[in-house]
Amino acid sequence: MVLTHSTNHTYSHPFPTVTLAYFLRYSSPQLNPFAAHVLSTDTISSHVDPETQRLYTTRIHLKKSRMPSAVYKLLPASVSGGNSGEKASYILETSVVDIKEGWMKTESRNLNFTGVLSVVEKQHFKVPSSPEAVARNETDVNSSVMFKSRLGEKIRGKIGQAQESSGWLPGFLGGLGAKGIQRSIESLASTKTIDQLSKSRDGMRLVLERLRNGGVIGVMEKLRQERQRQAAAM
Amino acid sequence: MSASLAPECNEVKERYDTCFLKWYSEKYLRGAEKDNKECADLFNEYQKCLGVALKSRGIDKLLDEAREDNKDNDSRRNKF
Repeated sequence: MVLTHSTNHTYSHPFPTVTLAYFLRYSSPQLNPFAAHVLSTDTISSHVDPETQRLYTTRIHLKKSRMPSAVYKLLPASVSGGNSGEKASYILETSVVDIKEGWMKTESRNLNFTGVLSVVEKQHFKVPSSPEAVARNETDVNSSVMFKSRLGEKIRGKIGQAQESSGWLPGFLGGLGAKGIQRSIESLASTKTIDQLSKSRDGMRLVLERLRNGGVIGVMEKLRQERQRQAAAM
Repeated sequence: MSASLAPECNEVKERYDTCFLKWYSEKYLRGAEKDNKECADLFNEYQKCLGVALKSRGIDKLLDEAREDNKDNDSRRNKF
């Protein structure tokens, strides 16, 4: 089973600024307090297609795990990583910007824990189709999140992450039913993620306000000062 | 700027990020010069540092698996 959730939203900022805010949204907890759970952000590829002039970017974020604690409770520590520092997820983010056509498409997915739960979030930002909305400097975004649990299924010839770690799985799933567990995990995760989507929009709005007030130079100067403070404190 | 997952790459990562943001906001978004070659040297230096960390943490394998899963999903979708 797969659970999908989709929403539309309009930012009252022009499209180029929204794309910049997307790249900046995890750059510092001072700039975006809603991103305090993001531990690191790295770019692993970035290039402009010479023909289409589209910008392709791939980044990896390390986030404190957002898997709901109820999901952990469903799973033995050997699968969930227990209470150790392993409760962090690597997120792969890919994005394409077409500045000429006025759209940006992004996709984020978790890289670890995929045997328990895959979460794929897609966003499509675009210049609005109505001239009035364009005149008001708005940007539309459609976001969708897909949840899929493959616990107990065969993945690449192996049975999930679960089976490798111990022998509990056949009995555990046999009693409760793999499909039932998968559905529980999907619905627990979706309830939590939908809460978090509004927080991530709040974060984008904050970054956008700061860009409106200080411009990108102002924001970068603030980040630079913050780095210096951190370096001085060390 | 946010940290790199490898603390030893923080410094070059910051220099690259600053270069990228400057290029993106001042050139790409304004429809000027489209390629980001001006940040290429910094990017290569950054990747040299980061590549080691990705390998030692097994993230390179996770990336390969993610690409493989994507291919699986695509071929499944193409059947319809």
